[in-house]
Amino acid sequence: MSEHPIKVVVGKPGLDGHDRGAKVVARALVEAGMEVVYLGLRQTPESIVAAALEEDADVIGLSVLSGAHMTHFTRVRALMEENGLGDRLLTGGGIIPTKDQETLSKLGVGKLFGPGDDPNAIVGYIHEWMATHPRGDV
Amino acid sequence: MSTDSVGIHTDSVPGVGPQPALSAELWQAFLAGDRRVCARLISKVENDPRSVPAIRERFAGRLGQAIRIGVTGPPGVGKSTLCSVIALGLAERQHRVGVIAVDPSSPFTGGAFMGDRVRMERFVGDDRIFMRSLASREGRGGLSPATPYVADVIEAFGMDRILIETVGVGQAELDVLNCADLVVLVLQPSTGDAIQSLKAGIMEAADLIVVNKSDLPGADTVLQSLRFVYSLGGAKARKAPPLLATSAQQTEGLDELVDTIERLATSLVESGRHRELRQARLVDEIRRGIQQELWERFLSQTEAESAIQKVAADLAESGGMAYDFVRAACSQVELRVREKRD
Repeated sequence: MSEHPIKVVVGKPGLDGHDRGAKVVARALVEAGMEVVYLGLRQTPESIVAAALEEDADVIGLSVLSGAHMTHFTRVRALMEENGLGDRLLTGGGIIPTKDQETLSKLGVGKLFGPGDDPNAIVGYIHEWMATHPRGDV
Repeated sequence: MSTDSVGIHTDSVPGVGPQPALSAELWQAFLAGDRRVCARLISKVENDPRSVPAIRERFAGRLGQAIRIGVTGPPGVGKSTLCSVIALGLAERQHRVGVIAVDPSSPFTGGAFMGDRVRMERFVGDDRIFMRSLASREGRGGLSPATPYVADVIEAFGMDRILIETVGVGQAELDVLNCADLVVLVLQPSTGDAIQSLKAGIMEAADLIVVNKSDLPGADTVLQSLRFVYSLGGAKARKAPPLLATSAQQTEGLDELVDTIERLATSLVESGRHRELRQARLVDEIRRGIQQELWERFLSQTEAESAIQKVAADLAESGGMAYDFVRAACSQVELRVREKRD
């Protein structure tokens, strides 16, 4: 596993003011020793990917409860590829039906979480993903 | 030769431990303004101290012109918000601006919650500004230990004004003095009476004091007590710094803030003070470098590590002092050096 703390950019794309979930998850990641850059509300896919690029983030986490998850996750994933961040993990959560998760998974989006999931499951997933997807020497 | 995703060589050099070097492609991409490479280099110097010399050596001739502006003050006074204003103001005055925002790491978990981008979202997509959040990690003086190196990367990338926002600080977290050319201290109303302003520490270090949230009650009291303290002067006292009132929310005093910073930056350069500061920092770097290098050679040439452990165990038992051992160890090194020379 990486020696330095895992860096995660957490943001909420689109018009969705419910940020409690994102804050709870961010807190759990910090408790697990990760460095979380919190972007807050009403981000665009462009602003999230630009931030992840400057932060050299290992992971991008999106919280979407508005129903627009297909649009946002797809767009963020495409922008990641465009900007040379294809080797980073895109994960997140919200109210996301299983069949949509399957579609997104085919596009290269990682596991998505929902209400009732243990925040530590997200921590475990990120650790596991990082261990199996080394990003070079740092 | 193995490389990571942006081409930093990762092969270790035998004997001296890993010394990652920059590939020519990577360096070219960096010079051409590839923000991803800049971000990656920042991670390198932040995460792997051994990579710092090889990276910084490439910066020769590219450093020393940028003005590094520290922004410090207690938590919640509006440092991030003002940094956002200052960065945009400087960009409008034809500068290329780097922003380094440091937030605290947990001493318990090592994790960090960095929220500065929430106040700085207006930068996104703005090519004139490069922003990076840093967790303070082992730093206990308001900055992360890698901050000066991160500033070097950003300056070499082409930025000529670099804002360094510290974690929310109390009275004596003074790391910012060691890596900023100008220090902006941000305060807010109701942060204490004249007694607070009289205390030593950060109050003495400021080149500019900003009382933010001046729309709130109590702003005048803070301004008055600051004026009183600086009016006292004193033999060794520095010149009173400019004192500004701003309200980021009401957009009051913000143009004046940016203008004042620019005025201070200009006089810093014109007076030769900027060069002096850089020179003083180099003296410090050379001293620390020699200490570090000698220490490493000392360890490699002697059985020092195990001897230190053993002597410490004895001293802990006997209640003795360590001075004799230190003197003996140093003269042993001296002897070896002399033997080699003769």
